[in-house]
Amino acid sequence: MASTSTAAVDRLVRLDAPEKPRRRLPFSPWHLFLAPVAVIMLLPLIWMVILSLETSSEAQSFPPVVLPTGLHFHNYVTTWNSEPFGNFFLNSAIYSLTTVASNLLFCSLAGYAFARLKFWGRDVLFIVLLATLMVPFQVLLIPTFLIVKHLGLVDSVGGLIMPNLCSAFGIFMLRQFFRTLPIELEEAARIDGTSRLGILFKIVLPLSLPALATLGIIQFMWSWNDFLWPLIIIDTASHAPLQLGLATLQGAHRSHWNLVMAGTVMSQIPMIVAFLIAQRWFIRSIAFTGIKQ
Amino acid sequence: MKRICLLIVTGALIVSGCGGSSSTSSPATTSSASSGGHVNITLWHGYTDVEGTAIKALTKQFNATHPNITVTPQFYGNSDYALQKVLAAIAGGKPPDISYLYGSWAANIATNPTTVNLAPYIQKDPSWNWNDFWLAARNVTTVKGKIIGVPALIDNLALVYNKKLFAQAGIPLPTPNWTWTDFENAALKLTDPSKKQFGWAYVNDASEDTVWRFWAMLWQAGGSILSPDGKQAAFDSAAGLKAMTLLQTLAKHNAIYLDDGSDVYPGVFNSGHIGMLWTGPWDLSQITGHQPYGVTILPADKNHQTISGPDNWVVFNNGSARVNAAVTFLKWFTSPAIDLEWATMTGDLPLRASVSKLPGYNAFVQKYPGIGEWAANLANATQSRPVTTTYPKISTVVGQAVQSVLLGKADPQQALSQAAQQVNGILSAPS
Amino acid sequence: MTARAEVTRGVDYRRPSLWQRIIASEHLAGWAFVAPAVILIAVFALIPIGWSLLLSFQANNLLAPGHYIGLANYRALSKDPQFRAAIGHTIVYTVIFVPVSVLAALGLAVALNRKLRGIRFYRLAVFIPLVTSTVATGIVFLWLLDPTFGLVNYALHALGLPQQGFLQDPNQALYCIVVMTVWGWLGFDVIVYLAALQGIPQDLLEASEIDGASKWATFRSVVLPLLGPATLFLVVWSTINALQLFDEIYVTTHGGPLGATTVIVYYLYQQAFQFFNAGYGAAIAYVLFVGILIITLFQLWVGRKRVYYVS
Repeated sequence: MASTSTAAVDRLVRLDAPEKPRRRLPFSPWHLFLAPVAVIMLLPLIWMVILSLETSSEAQSFPPVVLPTGLHFHNYVTTWNSEPFGNFFLNSAIYSLTTVASNLLFCSLAGYAFARLKFWGRDVLFIVLLATLMVPFQVLLIPTFLIVKHLGLVDSVGGLIMPNLCSAFGIFMLRQFFRTLPIELEEAARIDGTSRLGILFKIVLPLSLPALATLGIIQFMWSWNDFLWPLIIIDTASHAPLQLGLATLQGAHRSHWNLVMAGTVMSQIPMIVAFLIAQRWFIRSIAFTGIKQ
Repeated sequence: MKRICLLIVTGALIVSGCGGSSSTSSPATTSSASSGGHVNITLWHGYTDVEGTAIKALTKQFNATHPNITVTPQFYGNSDYALQKVLAAIAGGKPPDISYLYGSWAANIATNPTTVNLAPYIQKDPSWNWNDFWLAARNVTTVKGKIIGVPALIDNLALVYNKKLFAQAGIPLPTPNWTWTDFENAALKLTDPSKKQFGWAYVNDASEDTVWRFWAMLWQAGGSILSPDGKQAAFDSAAGLKAMTLLQTLAKHNAIYLDDGSDVYPGVFNSGHIGMLWTGPWDLSQITGHQPYGVTILPADKNHQTISGPDNWVVFNNGSARVNAAVTFLKWFTSPAIDLEWATMTGDLPLRASVSKLPGYNAFVQKYPGIGEWAANLANATQSRPVTTTYPKISTVVGQAVQSVLLGKADPQQALSQAAQQVNGILSAPS
Repeated sequence: MTARAEVTRGVDYRRPSLWQRIIASEHLAGWAFVAPAVILIAVFALIPIGWSLLLSFQANNLLAPGHYIGLANYRALSKDPQFRAAIGHTIVYTVIFVPVSVLAALGLAVALNRKLRGIRFYRLAVFIPLVTSTVATGIVFLWLLDPTFGLVNYALHALGLPQQGFLQDPNQALYCIVVMTVWGWLGFDVIVYLAALQGIPQDLLEASEIDGASKWATFRSVVLPLLGPATLFLVVWSTINALQLFDEIYVTTHGGPLGATTVIVYYLYQQAFQFFNAGYGAAIAYVLFVGILIITLFQLWVGRKRVYYVS
């Protein structure tokens, strides 16, 4: 019953009915909804960019100057040179990429086990892991620091990474996603003698690219934006990741708010890039063409 | 795919291993003690901007002139986050050798066994000239007879006014002889809702920023915060009522720009919407170059008292060699000549009264227009807030009382009585 | 069963040894799969949680050595009116935040799950607030909602509506925080839903269309049920997060005005790091933890009955 004709697949990329009514507007009506939403969402970023291009003096007024007299792009250069931003970016990159990779790996393994395998204590263990998300970090930061100190990783990028190698969040999310996949493919492979690990890596994960991309981008963002834990664990400026490094720009009082904003905007660019990359996996994964029963 | 994963995991472990060893490449670490007489100590601070540059420059200068000691300054974040970092380090048994800590934390920091009592060092060495430090600063270093810090920062509240707005409203500029009545009248006259103009600004987030301005008013009206034995609230007196009523009157006429704690009021002042501020020298870097402003002492009810918010350099015990090195550094750093250098670089007020007699002092006053007023005003900071472990709780209670009056949600007597009752409860609770 | 399986079975069948059965057993496989995660989480999350539990039984300011006081902190909490107020604020916040953000995200995700010129730009726009630092978000909202100079009051004025206090009005502040956090977190829920929408089998959608169902009917009876697992995840996760709200409060209202936005974790923070009462703060964290656990278990139980997984 499932149709695999390419024409049908092409049409079904949208939820529209096959025959569209004749449009009265030169563009899709969805723009009327999405464009204002986009503007609302982008407002702070636009505002930050404007502020970053102002002079210090303009940035010191409230209400803020919305139309600066000139576009001072050199603020970005000044900001970059004022602190070891190269180091900050590198440290953040190592921190973020490592935690993304480790979370994708360990949460896939665990998520699959919770989704498909029956093992003794599974449900209780799942709740126990989930429970670790329910205690606020303010209470946990000191004991976490003590553990990392015992591992000898204070003031190092390794110390940043270790507590964040695996989070119950990813396990929970991937468990949910894996359970939505039709089990027939996995059962068929099992009967064919494929190992469970093989099923995970050869069948389940390729079908889960949107979920993996989602977990990846979220974990990347958390690590990239992390401030409190780096503050606690890092002492030396050259080991600091980005948000901590930015804090050295930001005094308690706003004398150079334009530079702080320039630094903040710069810090967001990698995340935007990461999102654009991850977006490629939000499109339909072509491997899924229906199952013949 | 499996191979890639293995590589990633191995990579993670290698990186974490490398991370541990790379920390030794920095010039000084907290783990190394003295080697052949040379001592390395760390100094934790929250300085950014000009102060950040200054601390790096001055520690470099010290290191160059003191070959046996190397001081490494490390940034520890700002404000409350810094406390969490320091507490974590203390819990881990490796506190920094010197740390900048808020004066309001002094009483609690004193309970820590590794906090060094500096009294013996200071008594043994009269060249410290301890009484040269302003009284307000000394008050915050001393907890129950122990000296737990060296003054790090001193400031006070003074009256900053917008000359242009005063001229436009036809009011004579504030003088050192101003009274509360003059202040109130000016604030009301300078208020113009049609121009979104306010006579005064007040930080209204119920934090200590809200409370300490009220304390200044309380003292000016002749009141005090607690009873002499420190066991009862004393701010719900006639003086307190007078202060609260002034706040209520001005708030009722919308004469006050209420800042919600995000410190935008200097920006509002810069755009010409506020007539007067009660603020300190820290705002100078933001307001210079905008509106034409003047600085004078706070108006008087019975006196012109002001309030100061000093902070401390605290020394933690990592062994006698490092404590001695830390004390040596702090004595050098707060000596009159170096302190004047610091003040000139940063615009912070001099910590010592004798600094005003040094030859370079005039250059300092010229560099930061108005700073001279604040420096002279230190003589008016004759009282201090109680340095007790319960003070933060007292501050929260009074902060909410002031906030409720400013928002028009409570009347002064009611707010004061309720706050006093709560504070008495806090003071009488077993600690 | 395929022919190949039959042949394999017939030729190679031998009774597996105990060791082979253990290795093949699902129990071992299950534990092997979860082992790395369990070890990491046990070390870096469970141990700290245990340490905090011990702290909650102490009078401890994290400076002087603490001493054990048994359940005194918990007893004090049960009588603490400010704690009760914090619970109230947190519940009000959560009850509004979760449904609003999940429903809004669902609508947005459906809108973004189509081929449209510039759809990548729109998706990026929705994602941006999520990566904007809390500090920057807070400052923008403080400006937008400033009672005197803010853009929103300016717009209200232009429309002839009365000026509002927003974050400076005790009755409005919490709702402003809801708006601010929905705005900030929407992107997260949207990308989860987008990923889930990608997983809906095309043949089911096509079948429904061929049967003549309208778009809305298709959505209600095909898409929505298939989004069940994602919805459950988002509801559970949003609830866990909402009950632990802190950053946005710290950056904007500082728990005010007049304590109106003091939520549980903010109260905890005040106790531990402003009043130097870390033991009490740990006790607050544990009471919160138990509350979140009960609510989550309830949600998962409801989910077990109402959510089905395609299989």
